[in-house]
Amino acid sequence: MKVKFNNRDPVYVQVIRHFKEQIASGYFEPGQEIPSRRELANQLKINPNTAQRAYKEMEEQGLILTEGNLPSRISKDEQVLEMVREELILEAVDTFVHSIRSINIPIHEALHLAKDKYEEGN
Amino acid sequence: MKQYLKLVNFEFNRFFKLYLVLIGITILTQIIGVITTARMHVNRANEWINEEHMTKGDIQLAPISFYDFSQSAWFMGPIALGAATLLIYVFFIWYRDWLGKNTFSYRLFMLPIARIQVYLAKAATILLYVLGLIALQLLLMPVENKILKWIVPSEFRTDLSINEITRIPNVALLIPNTLGEFVLYYAAGVGVVSIVFTAILFERSYRVKGIMYGILFCAASQLVFFAPLLVNTFVLKNYFYPTELFFMELATGLVVAACSIWTANFLIKNKVRV
Amino acid sequence: MEWGILMIEIKDVTKKFGKKKVLNGVSFTAEKGKITCLIGINGVGKTTIMKAIMALSPIASGEILIDGKKIHKESYEKITFIPDTITMLPQMQIRDAFVFMADFYDSWNQARASELLRFFKLQETDRISDLSKGNTAKVNLILGLAMDVDYVLMDEPFSGIDIFSREQIADVFTSHLIEDRGVIITTHEINDIEHLIDKVVLLDNGVVLKEFDTEEIREKEGKSVVDVMREVYEA
Repeated sequence: MKVKFNNRDPVYVQVIRHFKEQIASGYFEPGQEIPSRRELANQLKINPNTAQRAYKEMEEQGLILTEGNLPSRISKDEQVLEMVREELILEAVDTFVHSIRSINIPIHEALHLAKDKYEEGN
Repeated sequence: MKQYLKLVNFEFNRFFKLYLVLIGITILTQIIGVITTARMHVNRANEWINEEHMTKGDIQLAPISFYDFSQSAWFMGPIALGAATLLIYVFFIWYRDWLGKNTFSYRLFMLPIARIQVYLAKAATILLYVLGLIALQLLLMPVENKILKWIVPSEFRTDLSINEITRIPNVALLIPNTLGEFVLYYAAGVGVVSIVFTAILFERSYRVKGIMYGILFCAASQLVFFAPLLVNTFVLKNYFYPTELFFMELATGLVVAACSIWTANFLIKNKVRV
Repeated sequence: MEWGILMIEIKDVTKKFGKKKVLNGVSFTAEKGKITCLIGINGVGKTTIMKAIMALSPIASGEILIDGKKIHKESYEKITFIPDTITMLPQMQIRDAFVFMADFYDSWNQARASELLRFFKLQETDRISDLSKGNTAKVNLILGLAMDVDYVLMDEPFSGIDIFSREQIADVFTSHLIEDRGVIITTHEINDIEHLIDKVVLLDNGVVLKEFDTEEIREKEGKSVVDVMREVYEA
C-alpha cells in the first residue's frame, strides 16, 4: 500500500478517501480485516496520530467496525458500501462535468470521447 | 547516593588510563633512580679503593642515605609530574565535556540527579587520584629504602627509618606526620579545588565575563580565609595565641568552603550553559 | 500518571547573548501526543529554545513549564533532548553508551534500544568515534528514543545526513516510537516531513510569527505548510 499525499488536503481525509477507493474497487471486501492503526501509519508513512484520527472518523461514518480488542474490519452494511460507491462516482462525475463546462464542450461530444477513451484503457 | 557513587566511578574511569601511565612513570623513574644513585655511590667508593688503594676505613666519603635520593630529580621529578598533571586535570575534568565536538556536558546535565552531584563527583575524583599517588609513594619509599640497603654496603650508608624519612621536609609536605596535619593539609587542598571548580563554573556560566567573576571569587575566598591571620598580624600586632588562630582559620575555612559549594550549586543549577 | 495539563508551555521567554536578543518574548505550547515542529532559518533561536526547555541554558525572563511544573531533576526521566551532536564519549562503544544510560535512567528501555539498533543495522561493538555522520545521528537518536519518556526534543534530526539515513529517521516518526509522546523537532527544511507533523511554530528574529495545527489549516484554508510559510515570511 503506497499513497502519494498532497500537501493541501488534510492527511486524514486523504487516508479516508484511499480507504473508500479500496472499498469501491473491491480491494477491501465487506467484513475484511484491515491493518491496525500502527501498521497503517507505518505502511502509509504517516504520523500514528493521523492514522488514529482517520480510523476514528471512519468508525463514525460506519465504514469500519471495531469490536473490543479485535482488529478493525470493513463494514458489512450493504447500504454504507453502496453509499461509498455512489459518493466516489458522483465526485468523479462532478469533476468531469466541471472541466467540460469550463471549456464549453457539448456534453454528448464529451461523453462519446469519454466512452472511447475508457474502452481504450481496458 | 548510589547514583553519586556511579558518577564518581564513571569520572574516575575516564582518566584511569593516563593515571596508570602516571603511576608507571613514577614507579619506573624512582626505582631506576634509587638503583642508579646507589650504584654511583658504590662505584665512587670502589674507585677510591682501587685507584687510591685506600681501605674501607680510610675513605672520607660521606655516607649515602635516603635523604640524598629524596633530594634528587629521580625522586622529585615524578612527584612534580604527578602534581602538575593533576593540577591541569582540575581544569580539564570540566573543559573536556565542552571542548571540541564533545557535548558530553549535555548528558551530564540531563541526568536525573541534582547537578551539584556532578561537581562533587568531579571533586571526589581529583581527591581519589591525589590520595592514590600519595599511597603509591608510601608503598614505594620502603621498597626504595630496601634497594638502597641491598646495593650500598653498610660502611657507605646511613640508614633512615620510615619515620625519619617522613620527616625529610619535601616528603613531609606530601605525607604530614600527624593525623591533624594530614586532615588540615588535605582539607585545605579540597577547599582550593572546590574554589577553583566554582571559578570554572563562573566561566562556564558567563563565559568571558565569567573569567573576571571567577578571579574575583578566588580573591575574595582567599581574603576571607586569611582574614584572621591578616588582622592578627597587621591590626592587632599578634594578639591571639596560635591555637586561637588555628580555630579561627578553621572557621573561616569552613565558611569559604560552604560559600563555594553554595555558589557552585546555584550556578550549576541555574546559570551554566552547555 | 498525573492528570492535568499534559504539555510543554513556553511563556514569554526572552534571552540575550551579550546585547543581542535571541529570544524576544517567545510563547507556544507543545502537547503530549503531538509532533510540533519549530521552523525558522538558522540562527533564529530554535536550538536555544530547546536548550532552555532542558535548563541547559538560562533564560532572562519568562517561564517554561512541563506538565504544569518547572523542570526539576526527576523531569529528566520524562523528557529527553536529542541535540544535533552525539552526547556520549567518542571512545565508547555503542554498548558502553547503553550501559551508561541504563545506569543512570530508570526510564531507559534496553529492549527498545536493541530493537532500534537492529532497525538501523548498527552493531553494539561499533565505536562511536568510528561511525559515519549518518550513523552517529542514528545512535544519538537511539539514546533518546529508547527512553520511556513523555516528551522528546530533537534538534535538526535531518540536517547533513545522507538520503537513506533521512528516510530511516523519517520512518521513526511513523512508528510506535513516537506514538502518544509529545515531540518537538526543529528544522529549517520542511519537505521530508510536511505530512508527518501535527503542529507548526514559525519563528523569526526571536519571536513566534505563527503557531498552527497542520490538519486544521489544510481543512479550513486548503493551505499546505509551505503555503503558510510563504505567506508569513514574505509578508
